[in-house]
Amino acid sequence: MVNMRNRGRSQVSLPGIIIHLVLVSVALAMVYPLYNQLVIALTGSDYIAQADGMTLIPKGITLSTFKAVLSFPKVYRGLFNTLFITAFGLIVNIVLTSLGAYVLIKKDLAGRNVFMTLIIITMIFEAGLIPDYFLMRDLGLLDRYASVILYKAVNPYYLIILMRFFGGVPKSLIEAARIDGYGEVRILFRIMIPLSIAGIATITLFYGVFHWNEYFRSMIYLTSEVKWPLQVVIRELVVSQEKAAFIGALNFITSGTAAAIEFKALKAALIIIAIVPILLFYPLVLRYFVSGKLSGSIKE
Amino acid sequence: MRRRDEMHKSTPSLKKRIYRDRHLYLMLFPVLLFFLIWHYVPMWGARIAFQDIRFFGENEWVGLKHYRLLFSSPVFLRVFLNTVVISTMKILFFFPLPIALAFLIHEVKSHAFRKTLQSVIYLPHFLSWVVIAGIFTTLLSPTGLVNSLITFFGGEVIPFMTSNSHIRWVFVVSEIWRSIGWDSILYIAAINSIPNELYDAAIVDGASRMQQVFRITLPIILPTVITVFILNLGFFMNAGFDQVFNMMNDAVINHVDIIDTYVYRIGLQKGNFSLATAAGLFKGIIGLILILSTDRLSRKISGEGVW
Repeated sequence: MVNMRNRGRSQVSLPGIIIHLVLVSVALAMVYPLYNQLVIALTGSDYIAQADGMTLIPKGITLSTFKAVLSFPKVYRGLFNTLFITAFGLIVNIVLTSLGAYVLIKKDLAGRNVFMTLIIITMIFEAGLIPDYFLMRDLGLLDRYASVILYKAVNPYYLIILMRFFGGVPKSLIEAARIDGYGEVRILFRIMIPLSIAGIATITLFYGVFHWNEYFRSMIYLTSEVKWPLQVVIRELVVSQEKAAFIGALNFITSGTAAAIEFKALKAALIIIAIVPILLFYPLVLRYFVSGKLSGSIKE
Repeated sequence: MRRRDEMHKSTPSLKKRIYRDRHLYLMLFPVLLFFLIWHYVPMWGARIAFQDIRFFGENEWVGLKHYRLLFSSPVFLRVFLNTVVISTMKILFFFPLPIALAFLIHEVKSHAFRKTLQSVIYLPHFLSWVVIAGIFTTLLSPTGLVNSLITFFGGEVIPFMTSNSHIRWVFVVSEIWRSIGWDSILYIAAINSIPNELYDAAIVDGASRMQQVFRITLPIILPTVITVFILNLGFFMNAGFDQVFNMMNDAVINHVDIIDTYVYRIGLQKGNFSLATAAGLFKGIIGLILILSTDRLSRKISGEGVW
């Protein structure tokens, strides 16, 4: 993909400089708001009142805001809930998507076109929020983790991506395994999946980012606050800034630690906590998401 | 009869194939069950758009009553207009930017600089709208970075998040922040696929850099641009629910309330289930029509469907 462009303009030119300046500003505009949140989260309590958008280096640098935030029950429970939902969600996602992809790549399977059509229809038409909610209620899943673990258990876009990877496994290997007496399930788990690790990694990251960032269905299906994942907690504290939650958080923080921590710092620390896992996996995310996007099946 | 004989020669009979593949059907069963329960049962459930809900006994069919209510309601009319306006603003002011960015990135010669730049500008795409809304409310608050800069240069503080004349632009700008990098990927790939010989030949013919852009690069990536545009049009009625939902507040609600936020509010918050379902279904059907017609259009223009 590296495109060697030697179009006889290796010398430094004014348009070249302007282009680089524009690009550097775009990159700064992406990074600076995140960096600024980090600065505010690290600023010591004596200086937090003056810390604003223009502060470049945190004064009285301290981790006490992070400690306070992480000792806030809503937050650590939220983190636990997110990890729990993501872990179990991923198991369901990967098993179901693999089963579906393995069967649906068989072109001569009777009824395959009907199944594919049924699946593709769900990509372009959704009944809407209220019928979804009623389904959860009627299944007795409201306020159960299962509601959000099973929500979008199979994403048709990701199913199609995995089908492409499975389709790339040599047929001869599968035939050889079949002659050795392997059943379909064994072929899937012993041959298909090990030979499509890049495909499994791609869909794992897609589903993983989905679970990590999901907030809306959790917010409406999980009615008890103790089950809320981190994003819903952040939404309540940072975005909607409901008075009660605001005061509750402040009271907890002020009684729990020596110095009062400004709500501004608390918010910033929460935002950083939500971003860190994305950054940790970012090299992998970049590699597999970009190829997934280029394979042309991802709309978002 | 003749057909069956022919089939016998090439492939086994349907019965035999189904028996042969019985394990495969068993493996597919949970997947299909998931789609039936999670997608098709709600489609049947959406019939309450045409019913009055009774807490005892059967719901009563009322035909288009809720649609008559919906279309005569000034609130829904406003919500519909907001959806159209916000989506249109994004198409006009966001859509061209990733294309421009791809052109600029293509001009960068240093491989390391390109790689770093790309990893940085893709990052916001992976943050949730909850987090992005948190970042933007901080940035745009009366004491935030933007207002600090405005007052530094002698301007007046602007309450962006609670100002009717600014909030929709906040949507456009935050959409740019989140997606300009990510959405440039397809264009960068398209530009990279152009063989260097084309440019070399143009240079020999004395083409300026601008002429190279307008006579070579632009025409070649045009099909990609059209495909992406058509795809976006298919999701026109969404107008970015997560963004609006996390950035809206009571001060600006009349300017930002879109169909999806309306469905949530009158349905789940006020318990007006039938009306909310009717609104949601209306949006779903318009979306369906848009996607199907844009797919047709795409097949006509580029010879390729949307999926």
